[in-house]
Parts: sequence; structure tokens; C-alpha cells
Amino acid sequence: MEQDKKSLRRVYDRVVIKKMLTFAKPYWYMFAIALILIFAVTGASLARPYITKIGIDKYMTGYSDGTMSAQQASKGIWYLGILFLALIIVEFVFNYLQHYILELGGKRIIKDIRQKIFSHMQYLPLSYFDKMAAGRIVTRITNDPETINEMFSSVMVGFIRSIVEMAAIIVIMFRLSYRLTLVSFTVLPLIVLASVLFRRTARKVWQRIRTKLSAINAFLAEHLAGMKIIQVFNMQEKKYQEFDQINSEYYDAHMKRVVIFGIFRPFMDVVKTLTVALLLWYGGRNILAGLLEFGTLYMFVDYIGRFYHPIMELTEQFNVLQSSIVSAERVFNLLEEAQEQNVKGKIKDIGEIKGQIEFKNVWFAYVGENWVLKDVSFKIEPGESVAFVGATGAGKTSIINLLCGFYEHQKGQILIDGIDIRDIGKERLRKNIGLVLQDVSLFSGDIATNIRLFDSHISMEEVEKAAKHVNAHDFIQKLNGGYAHQVGEGGATLSVGQRQLISFARALIRDPKILVMDEATSHVDTETEILIQDALVNLMKGRTTIAIAHRLSTIQNADKIIVIHKGRIREMGNHQELLNKRGLYYNLYRLQYDQEYKVV
Amino acid sequence: MADKSVLYKNLVKHKWRYAKGLFFLIIINILQILVPKITGIVVDGLKSLSLDNKDLLYYGALMILISLMIFVSHYLSRVQVLGASNLFDYEVRNEMFDHMLSLSMRFFHKSRVGDLMALATNDLGSLRMILSRGFNLVTNTIILLVGSIVVMAGYMDLRLTIYAFLPFPFLVWIMIKFGPMINRRFRRVQESFSDLTRKTQENVSGIRVIKAFVQEKNEIDNFARLNQENFDINMALARVQAIFYPSIGLISSLSFLITFIYGGNLVINGTITLGDFVAFNGYLGIIIRPIISIGMIINFTQRAKASADRIHMLFQQQPEIVDVGMPDSDQEKQQWQKGIEGKIEFRNLTFSYDKNEPPVLKNINLTIEPGKTLGIIGKVGSGKSTIANLILRLYNPMEEGQLLIDGVDITKVPLKLLRESIGYVPQDNFLFSSSIKSNIGFTPEEPDMDEIRRAAQISQIDDTIMELPHQYETMLGERGVNLSGGQKQRVSIARALVKDPSILILDDCLSAVDTNTERKILDQLKPFMEKRTCIIIAHRISTLQDADEIIVLDEGRIIERGNHEELLAKQGYYYRIYQRQLLEEEIERA
Repeated sequence: MEQDKKSLRRVYDRVVIKKMLTFAKPYWYMFAIALILIFAVTGASLARPYITKIGIDKYMTGYSDGTMSAQQASKGIWYLGILFLALIIVEFVFNYLQHYILELGGKRIIKDIRQKIFSHMQYLPLSYFDKMAAGRIVTRITNDPETINEMFSSVMVGFIRSIVEMAAIIVIMFRLSYRLTLVSFTVLPLIVLASVLFRRTARKVWQRIRTKLSAINAFLAEHLAGMKIIQVFNMQEKKYQEFDQINSEYYDAHMKRVVIFGIFRPFMDVVKTLTVALLLWYGGRNILAGLLEFGTLYMFVDYIGRFYHPIMELTEQFNVLQSSIVSAERVFNLLEEAQEQNVKGKIKDIGEIKGQIEFKNVWFAYVGENWVLKDVSFKIEPGESVAFVGATGAGKTSIINLLCGFYEHQKGQILIDGIDIRDIGKERLRKNIGLVLQDVSLFSGDIATNIRLFDSHISMEEVEKAAKHVNAHDFIQKLNGGYAHQVGEGGATLSVGQRQLISFARALIRDPKILVMDEATSHVDTETEILIQDALVNLMKGRTTIAIAHRLSTIQNADKIIVIHKGRIREMGNHQELLNKRGLYYNLYRLQYDQEYKVV
Repeated sequence: MADKSVLYKNLVKHKWRYAKGLFFLIIINILQILVPKITGIVVDGLKSLSLDNKDLLYYGALMILISLMIFVSHYLSRVQVLGASNLFDYEVRNEMFDHMLSLSMRFFHKSRVGDLMALATNDLGSLRMILSRGFNLVTNTIILLVGSIVVMAGYMDLRLTIYAFLPFPFLVWIMIKFGPMINRRFRRVQESFSDLTRKTQENVSGIRVIKAFVQEKNEIDNFARLNQENFDINMALARVQAIFYPSIGLISSLSFLITFIYGGNLVINGTITLGDFVAFNGYLGIIIRPIISIGMIINFTQRAKASADRIHMLFQQQPEIVDVGMPDSDQEKQQWQKGIEGKIEFRNLTFSYDKNEPPVLKNINLTIEPGKTLGIIGKVGSGKSTIANLILRLYNPMEEGQLLIDGVDITKVPLKLLRESIGYVPQDNFLFSSSIKSNIGFTPEEPDMDEIRRAAQISQIDDTIMELPHQYETMLGERGVNLSGGQKQRVSIARALVKDPSILILDDCLSAVDTNTERKILDQLKPFMEKRTCIIIAHRISTLQDADEIIVLDEGRIIERGNHEELLAKQGYYYRIYQRQLLEEEIERA
């Protein structure tokens, strides 16, 4: 079982890695160039011990052996020195280029991934945003691409570099002296064993540290937000103990890491020294026996030192690889989410929308068979105004959601001017609908941007005209900077009523044929209320208006009132008709009349 | 008191660990300095053929012995130093949270949760970094540098040492020149990153509007612009880094070059032996790593300093709401022994949250006798919740006037007792992501299951909870069940009731339940409320119409007061709200 899971996991990882590689594909040549440069740099740095070897064996020893004069020897050293200098300059230049190209490729990949996720995310249906916390989506776009890039710029390149470097060292060593090489490699099993053990435990420890850290973050986020409750309920001590618990788990995880790293790294140093000692002992005997030149031994010691570096890197790279696979998985999950359907619509030319709306036996559920709207049918003629009345949870907002194409209904038909909204396409549909929501989302930027949203085709004159029309102009002018007033994060500087007016302007400026409003009632002072009432009259003129109505004026003046109860339409008609019907609406009205009568 | 010392104190606390760590680090470094010397001796011995196999074995064994000693010391020093830094991290984080628990709401209003979290994780992390890796790096650099130079200059050749070190001033120059530049650019990268985060955050939370106004394409373009900007800023950093690291490599390589040429010639001259030459190269290799890391140390230090300053600032925040000394007399002590009776009195109270802001409450005069109920109604921002905040002593009454509890100035009432005696149901019905049981039993006394269920029954939530799969053990929040707004409010009411308080404050807490449920809750609450002083803040008149006294607040002033009938008879503001709400309610019920 365990084994199966593991191999399945491995296959799966490979699939993810393959998919990740598509991100790097457009820049493959950069990575290729970088790799070539890396090989050159590695070659240059590996050549250095060789030069030193020649210096030692040929010139320094040569002079003392008496095979050449001091002058000759010194000259030879100088030549080698110049070669040495050339090598380090090459190393420097290539290193610079390599760094730069890798960064360039890497950052481009990050940019691409980000753009891809963001663009995809824009067209995901609202149901996706319902089930995903905003913070998670943000992480997909900000952090995950960086982690994925690690796989290319650090793992992939580093991996190849490490392997090539090790291979090159092995080849050189074998060519120089296969005996010395074999002696050096007697410790190899130790290295492999230690690395494998380390990799396994280190990964677990890292995971633990990360989990504990996010536990601390989650705890803090929640308890700092709920500090008032903690203090009011005298829970400081208890909460401190809870925090201490989580905090000490984090500490323990860190200490585990200290132990594991504290053993592995120094252990590798021991192995390294062990190798050097072996070399000195075995090589020394050979030198004494005249079988080996001293410079060769020197070079071996140097190469062994270099040999350990890629091994350490390789173990690190595995950890990085793991976390980029995790990030990539999350990103692919988002990218594989189905986007909204029918964005463009089937019918190409439907002319100008007049604003007739018809629901024909519409059934709708957010999840499964949990029907929120049941067999809803109604028809609204162009220019008519309709008020939806009903208790919270009756299904009013769902009607708006369907009309704007935010969700797909399961049964029945929704028609605009007699055309199925699925054929019209969401884009065209929404362009003809002006939506005013109860809680107004403001975006950072100035007031003008918030009215025109990001549409640069809308001129400043139009913005002002719209603002005047909905009574927003006066208060905007009084703001510091007027239309250029910067709206803070969440728009804290504006009152609820002012935000409402801005959202009216936002809707009006697009001159939609259909106006859809989720009316806000609470939290608006009387003065703003009057402004809003007045603005509404202007706004509704000449448009089909659908409102989830709370205001008496909207209800009474509506051409049609639709009373909705538990997902079903219970009554329909204008104020007078509904009163004459002596049904639900009538009862409400009479009740109210009685109350008023009693009081007066 | 709690100024610099919090960091300092915790640092000093572990001085012995650091001392031990330092001791082992010195041993490691001395041993490390020995290794090239041994290599040199072996080389010379091989050269002059004055060694035999036994000597070789001896030196090899010596090296292995040394490396084992290094291994042990290394491990011990890591456990000491890194252990100390982890302890520091753990202890300071605990103290931070403890300190935050004591700070007043005024502080939490002006700070952002994200910033405070960053203090406890990132900033503390960078301090830990400087205390662990930073400590090791600095110690290693100093000891190795001094030790190696002493050996190189003293036992080998002074001139060679001087020449070999000639490039190092350039290294320092590069670090001084590029270090701050990298830091600056790095900061800009971080800023740009938070721009991206902000943009995405806004987009996601406003996605309904984006879609309704068909702004997806424009948003994609907007994001593309920020994304490009982020790319450019990142590349600006990459350009400097791409030249920085290879330069360091180049300069250290120059040292090797000089050693090779000059040292090689010295060997030919016979000034130094070949063994010295090899050992010299070994020393250069040893000291170059710490020197390269000087740049890193500078970086760490700067970041750690900024972090320390930020953390320091947090600790400097004084808890504002504290007990003012112990009760003066036995009489006072005795008074509080019986607990709080529940009389609340506002005397000419004027209050503003900030001295520079206009007052939120103006000249409030109000007396609530124990066991009576006060209803407060008024617009948003009229000062309703402020009254609750003051009674809870989340703020101290600062300006004129007085707030008395049982006839004693509130600042003289023991804080713990005061809050113990108040059952508070907040507007935002904040619940923790733990079990329902621990959310309701949210009091140090740890009430038993019966008490918890009784409270839940009164607030009409027991049935709902019993229907959940794990009943009272059901977890709330992200990894658990999400309750509806109305259900949350009822849990939050139960939480206040379970404390058996003498004062009950309901701050607009029935807004998300329908009028039917509201009626049921209020009926159930009635016997509970009879013995207690209650303050009901509401938007809906139905919530508070049974109160003994109702006040209407407008812009911080009481503009109408009386009971329900009296207020209706006045035909003023209260009457108008009543009329409008009747209508709205009936329509909602349709």
C-alpha cells in the first residue's frame, strides 16, 4: 500500500514537472546559453588546480631538481600566472553573463506564470470565488510563481551544473591517477548514505517548521483580530498558554533542525578530511616510492574539496524541488478550473438590447439539489420597473445573480428580448446591465477611476456628468483633490452613503438598458438618503429596472412588485393590484395601516 | 522598564550559552588553522624525503583526529548558539504576544494585524538569523582572519601575506558600494511585491464588480502593467547582484593569482618551502569563505537592526488600561468582595477616541439602576457602541465627566472584576476557530457542559448545535463548520450568558436573526435579564422596546429618552424609526 502510494506519487510528480517545463519552453535558449556559460566557468575553475600542479611539478620542483634554471622556472611561473589571470577573467565575465541570463529567464517565467494565472482567474465563475478564500488566490499569484521558478533557475540549472561538475572532476581524477581516485572514492558509500538519510529527515523537519510557522500565523491573525473579545472575557492568560503551546512546538521543530543540520554538515567535513588524510597517506607513500609527482597529489586534494560542494548542493536542490512541485500543483489546479461559459455568446448580431426580461420556469441551486429558486417565471417589459420583495434568503439576490450571468441556472430559460441569455453571451449581457450592489467595492486609485472603473475610453466630462446626475458631484468636489481624491484601501475615507452614490455613477456612466440594484438601506443618514432617493429617480428613467427593494418609495412606485417567498413567486402585480388581491401583500399593508392607526 | 531591555534581557539571559558556543567556535577555528600547517609539514617532508610510512600514518591519523574534534565541537557550538537563538526567538515571541494581550483597543485600532504578525514572524526571524548565523559568521571571520594572518605572516612570509591581501581593500570597497545599493533595490522589490499583492487582493474581493462591468480585460492589462513593473524592478536588482557576486569571486581569485606568482617565485628563490606554499594556499582557501560572507553579514545586520527597532517600538507601547494601584482601604476591598452589583452612571461624560478628533459622546448623563434595562438606538456613528466600549473599559474616559460603576469611578474598579461581571455580545460576533464548546465556555472559570447548554438554550442555538455532526465539539472556522450570521450571533450571546454576569451588554447583536427568532431569544432572556443590568443597543425597535429606559443618540448626544410608549407619544425621531421599521419588517416577512 505504502509502496504503491509512493510510486504513484513519483509518477504524479513527474507529470507535474513535465507540465512545469512548458513554462520554461519559450526561454529554453536562455537556459541553454546559461548552461554553456556555466560549463565554461566550471571548466575554468577546474583548470586552476591543474595550473598550480604544473607550477609545482614542472617549475618549482624543476628548479630544485636542477632540471632548469631559476630564471627559466620564474619565467614559467609568470606564463602560468598570465594564463591563470586569463582564466579568472573569463570566469568573471561568464559568471556575470550566466547570472544575468538566468535571472532574466527566471523573472520572465515568473512574470508569465503570474499573468497567466491572473488572466485565467479573471474569467473564473463566481462560484470559484465563493469556495476559495481570497488570501489563497493571492498566494497563487504572488508567491507560488516564485517558488515554481526556483525549479528552473536553481534546481534545474544547479542540478545539471552539479552533475557535470562532479563528472568532470571524476574524469580528471581518473586520468591523472586511477589509483588515487579509487582510494578517494572508498568513502563514497558513506557520503551516499549520509546524504540519503539527511535528505529524508531534513525534508520532514522543514515541513514541520513550515506547518508550525503557519500555525503561529493563523493563531496570531485570528487572535489579534479578536483581541477585544479576549480582553473583555478575561481570557488573556489562557490564550497566552495556547500561544505558548504553538510557539514551543515551533521551537521544537527548529531545534530538530539544529540537530540534524548540526550532524550532517560537520559530518561531511569529517568525511572530506578523511579523504584528504587517505590521500596524503596513500599518495605520500607513492611519492616516497617515486611513483607519483607531488603536484598531482596537491591537485587531488584540491579536487576532493571541490567534489563535496556539488554533493551538498544536490541535497539542497531536492528540497527546493519538492516545494516547487507543491506550488506548481496548486497553480495547475487553478489553471485547470473551468472558466465561465458562454462569454461571447452564439448569436453574433442581436442589435441593440431593448431590455425585455423573461424568466421561464427557472430552477436554480448553488449546490446540488438545494433549490434556491423554484420554478420562477415572470416577464418584464422594456422600461418597466420591478421591485422584488421578500425575506432574507427568499432568493432575491439569486435572481440578480442569474440575470447577470454570475451563476448558471439548472432548469428553465432566461430570455432577454426573447433571446436566451446563454446565446447572448455574458460579456454583451453585462455591458447592457448596470449593477448596483449593496456593499460597494472600491478600488485603490482616485474617485474618477472608481467611477469609470478601468475604462480609459470614458472621458472626465462624462465622469462628472454622471456624478452630477446622481448627486455625487457635490460631495466629491468637497473632497481633498476632488475627482483625483485617492481612495484608501477598502475606501475607508468615504461614508457608506457616499460609496452608494459612487456606485450609482458607476452604473449610470455606461448608460445600461437594464438597471439592477441590490438596494442598501441600513447605515445611511437621512441627508444622504434624500440624495439617494433623488438620484434613483434619475437613474431609473428610461431603463428596465430590477431592484431588491427595501425602500417604500421604490416599492410603491414600481410598475410591478414581485413577492418572493422561499424561492417561489407568491404574488405579482403593482401596488394597487396587489392590495386589491387581498393576499400576502395586502395583509402586510393592512397590518402596517393598522399599526399606524393605533399609534395616531 | 519595558524598553530596550526586552530584547536585551532575553539576549543576556542566554549569555552562558553564547559563551559556551564561542568557546567551541574558537576550538574549531584553531583546529582548522592547524590543518594546512600539517599539510605543509607533510609536503615538505615528502619533498625532502625525510618522512617514512609511519610518519605518514601518524599525520593522517592526526588529521582525522582533528576533524573528529572539529565535528564534535561544531555540533556542540551549533546546539549552544543556534539553541540560544531559538530560545530567544521563542521567548521574545511569547513576550510579544503577552504584551499585545495587555495593550488597549486604541493600539489595535491604529495597527494592522498583518504588521503585527510580521513582527512576530519575519522581524523576529531576522533577529534570530543575526544571533545564530550572524554570530557564527562574525566569530569565524574574526578568528580565522586573525589566526591565519598570524600563521601566514609569522611562520611563512610577511611580504607574501601582504601582497596576497592587497586585493582585499577592493573587496571592502565593493561591499560598501554595492551593499547599500542591493539593499535599496531589494526594498523596492519588496514594495513592488506588495503592490502586486494589493492589486490581486482588491481584484479578488471586487470580482463581482469587475465582472458586472465587464472589466476583466482592463484588469488583465492593469495587472500586466504592474507585473511588468515588478519584472523591471526585479531585474534592476538582478543586474547589481549579477555583477556583485562574480566580482567578489574575481577579487578573491586575484589573491590566489598573486600567491601563485609571487609565492611560486619565493619557492624557486628558496625563501619559502613548497610546503609553505601549499599551506599558504590552504589558508587563503580557509579565510576566503568568511570574507565573502562579510557582505551577507552587513545585510543581515541592517535587516536585523530595522527589525529590532520595529520590535522595540511594540514593546514601548504602554498598556493604557491597567489597574491604578491596589484598593485603598479595607472598605473598598470589602465592597468588591461581593462582586459588582451593576449600577452604571454617566456623569456629564464627553469622550473622543483621539484628542485631535471631535468628541463621539457629548455630555452624557445617564443612570442605570441594578437590574434595569437600558435601550440605545441611533444612527451609525452616533456613539452607541462607544457607550459599551466605555463600560467595558476598553478605553479610559479621558475628557470631562465621569463613568461610575456601583458609585465608584470606573478607573478604580479592579479591571478583571469589571470584565468578569459583564456579559458582552459584540456587534461583529467574533468567534474563534475552535470547538463550539470552547467558544461558548469562553471564560477562565471553565464552565461545565450543563452550564454551556443552558446558555445555548436561552439563546436558541442548542437545537442547531445538537444537529451538527459533532454537536458541541464541532469545530468552527476555516477547517470546520461555517455558521450563518444569525447562528454566530446566537453562539456569541450564549458566550456572554455563560459567565453569569451582573451586567449584560447586547451590542446590535440580533440584527442577523429574523424577528421571530429575535422574539424567542428575548422571551428566553427575560428571566435572565430581570436580575441583571442590561444595555441593549439596536437598530430595530422590536429588540429594545421592552427596556425600562430607551435613549436615542444622535451625533453623541441623547436627543430623546423615555420608555417605548413615552417615546412613541413624543412623535419624534423614535416614532419615525418605529414607523419605517414596522413597514420594512412586515414586507420582509412576506
